[in-house]
Amino acid sequence: MKAKTLEEEKTHEVIIGAGIAILLILTVFAIILGVTGYTPSENIRPLAQFYLYYAMNTFKKELWAATPEAVNSMVWDYRGYDTLFETSVFFLAVIGAVSVLRLPGVKDVVSKGILSGRGLSLIVKVITKFIVAFILIVAISIAIHGNLTPGGGFQAGAAVSIASLIGLAAFSRIFLEERHVTTKLMLPIRVLGVVGIGLVALVPAFIALSGILVFAMQNQPKVWAPNFGFPPGFGDFWLSGNQFYYNFFEFLAVGAGFTVIYLMYSIPEYFYKEVLGKK
Amino acid sequence: MIEQPLVIELLLAFSFTLALIFAYLAVMERDLIRAVVFAAGQSIAFAYAYYLLFAPDIVLAYIAVGVGIYSMILIFAISKTERYEKV
Repeated sequence: MKAKTLEEEKTHEVIIGAGIAILLILTVFAIILGVTGYTPSENIRPLAQFYLYYAMNTFKKELWAATPEAVNSMVWDYRGYDTLFETSVFFLAVIGAVSVLRLPGVKDVVSKGILSGRGLSLIVKVITKFIVAFILIVAISIAIHGNLTPGGGFQAGAAVSIASLIGLAAFSRIFLEERHVTTKLMLPIRVLGVVGIGLVALVPAFIALSGILVFAMQNQPKVWAPNFGFPPGFGDFWLSGNQFYYNFFEFLAVGAGFTVIYLMYSIPEYFYKEVLGKK
Repeated sequence: MIEQPLVIELLLAFSFTLALIFAYLAVMERDLIRAVVFAAGQSIAFAYAYYLLFAPDIVLAYIAVGVGIYSMILIFAISKTERYEKV
C-alpha cells in the first residue's frame, strides 16, 4: 500500500469524526423520538398481564407461583423447562472448556513450587480482601433472595465467580489453592448443583409413583394437578415452593463452573508446553 | 405513574451514545488490554441502559458477565499471544 500523505490522513480523520458526530446526533434523536417505544411502556401485553396478575395472587391460588418476583416465577415455574435446558447447556459448555484445556496425565494442577506468583501490591491485596468479602455476601444474598428480589441463581453464580477471579488477579493461583478453591473441589460442587436441580425437578415424578397426578417441575398445585405442591414457606422464611432450591443449586453450579474455567485458563502456556512436550 | 419519561429517554440516549463511543474506541485501539477495558466500559453503559429500561435482573447478570467474565477471558487470551496489534 502506498504511504498516505499528511493531508490525506487529515481528511480521513475529519470524515471519520464527522461521521461519528452525525451518528451520535441521529441516535439521540431516534431515541427521543421513540425508537425504543415508550419508556416505560404504557401498555402491558396480555402475557405480561397474566404473569403479573397470578405470580403472587394469594386469592387465586390455582395458577400462582408463590413468588413476589414475577421474573423468577417465569424463569423457574411457568417457563421452567427453558431454564432447565439452559443449565444443562452451560454444564456441557464447561465440560467442553475443561476437556479442551485439560492436561493429560495431571489429575489436578497444584501450582505450589511450580508456578510462583507474588500478586499485586499490598494496598491492592488488602482492598481486594475486603471486596471479596463484600462480593461473597452480596452473591449469597442474591442467590437466597432470588425468589423475592431481582436476581437469582445465575446472577449470583456469576457474581460469586468474580470473587475468585479478582482473588486470582490480585494474589495468585496459590492463594486460591490454599483456600481450597481448586478444580478438584469445584467440579464436584458443580455436579452437585446440577444434580440438585435435576432432583428438585424430578420430585413430582417420585410423587407420581404413588398415583397422584402431577407434572414435571411442578411448583404449586395447579388446576390440572391439584394434589401436589411444594410448601411455599415456613413461617417468615418464604421459599416460594421449589424456587429457592432451584436458585441455590443454580448458584452452586454456575459459580463453581465459572471458577473452574478461570482456574483452567490461569495455567500458563509454558506449563502446557512442558507437560505436553514430555508426551 | 411516572412523570418524567423525557428524562429517562435522555439518560437512555446518553448511555447508548456512551456505549457507541466506547465501542469505537475498543475497535480502534491498538493496545489490546486497553481495548478490553473500553469494551468493559461499553458493557457498563449497556447495563445502565438496562437499568433505565426496568430490567434489574438483566443488570445483575450483565455486569458480572460483561465486565468480569468477558474481560477475563479476553485478557487471558491476550496473555497467551501478543499485547499490541500490528497492522
